[in-house]
Amino acid sequence: MTVTKPETAPWLAAFKSRVPLAHEPAALTLRRETSLNRFAELGLPTRRDEDWRYTDLRPLDGKNLTAHLSKISEDIDINSYVLEDSAHRIVLFNGHWVESLSKLDKLPSGVWFGPSSNWLKDFPDLNMEILETSEFEGRQPFTSLNGAFFSDGFVLTLDPGVVLNRPIQILHVGQTGKSGAQHLRNLVRLGSGAQATLVESFSGEGDYWTNAATSIHLAESATLHHVRLQDEALEAIHFASVRATLGVRSKYDTFTLTLGARLSRHDIAASIEGEGAHCALGGAFLLRGQQDATTVTLVDHAAPGCETRELYKGVVDERSHGAFLGKIAVRPDAQKTDAHQLSRNLLLSPRASVDTKPELEIYADDVKCSHGATVGDLDEAALFYLRARGIPEDEARRMLIYAFTAEAIETVGNMALRAYLHGHLERWLAKSGK
Amino acid sequence: MSGATAETLDAVQSASGDSYKYGFFTDIEAETAPPGLNEDTIRFISAKKEEPQWLLDWRLEAYRVWLKMAEPHWAKLKVAPIDYQGATYYSAPKQDKDRPKSLDEIDPELLKTYEKLGIPLREREALAGIAVDAVFDSVSVATTFKGKLGEMGIIFCSFGEAVREHPELVRKYLGTVVPQGDNFFAALNSAVFSDGSFVYVPEGVRCPMELSTYFRINAANTGQFERTLLIADKGAYVSYLEGCTAPQRDENQLHAAVVELVALEGAQIKYSTVQNWYPGDAEGRGGIYNFVTKRGICKGDNSKISWTQVETGSAITWKYPSCILEGDNSVGEFYSVAITNNLQQADTGTKMIHIGKNTRSTIISKGISAGRGQNTYRGLVRMLPKAKNSRNFTQCDSLLVGDKCGAHTVPYVEIRNPSARAEHEATTSKVSDDQMFYCQQRGLSKEDALALIVNGFCKEVLKELPMEFAVEAQKLLAVSLEGSVG
Repeated sequence: MTVTKPETAPWLAAFKSRVPLAHEPAALTLRRETSLNRFAELGLPTRRDEDWRYTDLRPLDGKNLTAHLSKISEDIDINSYVLEDSAHRIVLFNGHWVESLSKLDKLPSGVWFGPSSNWLKDFPDLNMEILETSEFEGRQPFTSLNGAFFSDGFVLTLDPGVVLNRPIQILHVGQTGKSGAQHLRNLVRLGSGAQATLVESFSGEGDYWTNAATSIHLAESATLHHVRLQDEALEAIHFASVRATLGVRSKYDTFTLTLGARLSRHDIAASIEGEGAHCALGGAFLLRGQQDATTVTLVDHAAPGCETRELYKGVVDERSHGAFLGKIAVRPDAQKTDAHQLSRNLLLSPRASVDTKPELEIYADDVKCSHGATVGDLDEAALFYLRARGIPEDEARRMLIYAFTAEAIETVGNMALRAYLHGHLERWLAKSGK
Repeated sequence: MSGATAETLDAVQSASGDSYKYGFFTDIEAETAPPGLNEDTIRFISAKKEEPQWLLDWRLEAYRVWLKMAEPHWAKLKVAPIDYQGATYYSAPKQDKDRPKSLDEIDPELLKTYEKLGIPLREREALAGIAVDAVFDSVSVATTFKGKLGEMGIIFCSFGEAVREHPELVRKYLGTVVPQGDNFFAALNSAVFSDGSFVYVPEGVRCPMELSTYFRINAANTGQFERTLLIADKGAYVSYLEGCTAPQRDENQLHAAVVELVALEGAQIKYSTVQNWYPGDAEGRGGIYNFVTKRGICKGDNSKISWTQVETGSAITWKYPSCILEGDNSVGEFYSVAITNNLQQADTGTKMIHIGKNTRSTIISKGISAGRGQNTYRGLVRMLPKAKNSRNFTQCDSLLVGDKCGAHTVPYVEIRNPSARAEHEATTSKVSDDQMFYCQQRGLSKEDALALIVNGFCKEVLKELPMEFAVEAQKLLAVSLEGSVG
């Protein structure tokens, strides 16, 4: 008999009164129960858990997290988040697919792209795959909770050799007057040699809770570019976990721009299982007010000859808090691993704070691994230089913050995507005039 | 008795062929507390040492806190369960009641042991210029150079003696840096500490010589619980050397020491350690469990504490010499070399807590893993909101020798002040084939080549060691890595 943590009781009760998806396969219901039981065993994390030591969960207090958001409107403004260049698009509102705003016509052959609810309907015997994150859940109890409650999400699968040149976009929009949760479950599976670019955005209004879990599987020589813009409402809570497995010579690069949410957390776990794979994780968080954002990465090298690059930039102002916990693990057989990790942070206010923990765990000897971390204020000399040329202090500070963040955005290969991210960065900076 | 020693030595050498130079065991009748830990054990220890009531109460308080604590398991260490009730918590050489008046009265067995260790207790006294407070089986037997130091007002004696002679100082500072309930092992130490060293350097005095203590663990099954308290009053300077070797043994020996350093305004403390306890044999049998709490506080403005450590021994090392930089402009330094070979495990690093303005800290850590050793650097740099213009620089490099070992780096950087700067960098690499080839091509053996390269890798840290230690440390590095190549 396993022990159920008392704080999970409201969710256990909510599960009983849950309305299953239309066409929900019986096997999925079973899996949901397994996930729920695991969550009940794990309980809510506390700061005593090493992975959660820098995440203050107090903003969750008093929120009605067991309630589910419903689809209340199709009349939502997504214009500022739509990427003009995108070929196909899914809009998920409060965790439900909005068909009228989505663009799924003319999908090339060998591509399945759509809401996960449809995918489960089309391939009921494949539903296990979407929930295949069990080993990851020990670190992330909210992923187990997601497994029990997810309402929808997106699925992208590419047959071997299929190359999508134009990006695919997923817009997540949350909106509520009273708090509630949207659990999203996503799956990306790329066949050998397939290539895709994926852009996700998160935005909304109100104090909703987004809890997203994404599984990514890359077969031999597959390439996935994955860009995320987290611009949730400032009262919202955002948890997202990504679990990626990388096959032989596959490439996964991902970048997250974090601007929104009162409390946000992004967990990425990449397992490098194939020789010669390449993994690039990047991101920037810009925080103000009472915002709190944590990024947790784990790159587990289990195959030789792989290359990993990590660059995370943090800008924290006012009373905000940013944290980065990055871990690079190299298993005994992963010889010739070349991994580099860098966490750089700008601390702009006496009441703001930054925590960073770049970690190396290495069991192979023929490796090149390094990491670095810096925390400090804007460079006084640079600020002086700009002011000496007649640029007002606010403007000069903005320019320097822009330059600092842009360095990370430059790691994104696609020009249109870089412009998209730059646009949102500028919008954030424009709000900062003191 | 000397026959027994020779026998043990021979047996050890023939059985393992181990490279542990200091693997001998001196049989001295010990006056030992019965195994087990309860309040009576603590009363026994306290009574044996004729301690005042306040110290007994302090110990009991610590014991009660310890009972409520759980063993820490966050370190990257695999520790066999420790039987706290099976260990003996007190053992003293027999001459306890009849303390020797001069070196001539000291048990010749002891003197021989010291000779093997190279402790200059006798004619080497003046030659080495080191005052040695030799701790043998928990009780100090001899302290040299005391008179000379006494003239300058410097107190350098065993902890027990300090309790008798200078209770006001001990009472004022004991537990102020490492409180009784600080952590599991510090609480245990506070309850049962046997003896240790006490140093007080008065205002404005620069200690003219390096103070040194050699620790030895001897009687079977005796955990050693050293307690060191070192106070540098305003403007004082002291350099303290701590070094240790231990006899070869099969059971695991628990060692939980506590070191507290207090630097008042403008004071400087330099604390150097060469740790060479028995690391266990090639199969990981035996070896010392070393759980140490070392912490210094820069209490006054412009004070400085510098830790230098060379960790080559012990089966398990759990040790984080730390600095609390409370005074404005205070400086903390940590220089470390840690080697793990065979099945040794080390989880070591430092904590730099910046509280005062303009505080600075430097961390240089070099980890070397060979054989199946696991070596972890774990460090914390925390800058609190008032630590304006504070600086930290951290560099940790790991070197891997062989493909079955592990090197891990776990830094924590927590910054609460925008004018503070923290920089951290770390690298992990192996000894390059090119370097080895170059050395071998010039006629060096593989092992000599490795020793040369490793010494070069550690140079930044070794140069921080006082002369007396630097030579020994270099040899130790070579001995510790024997058998890891070729």
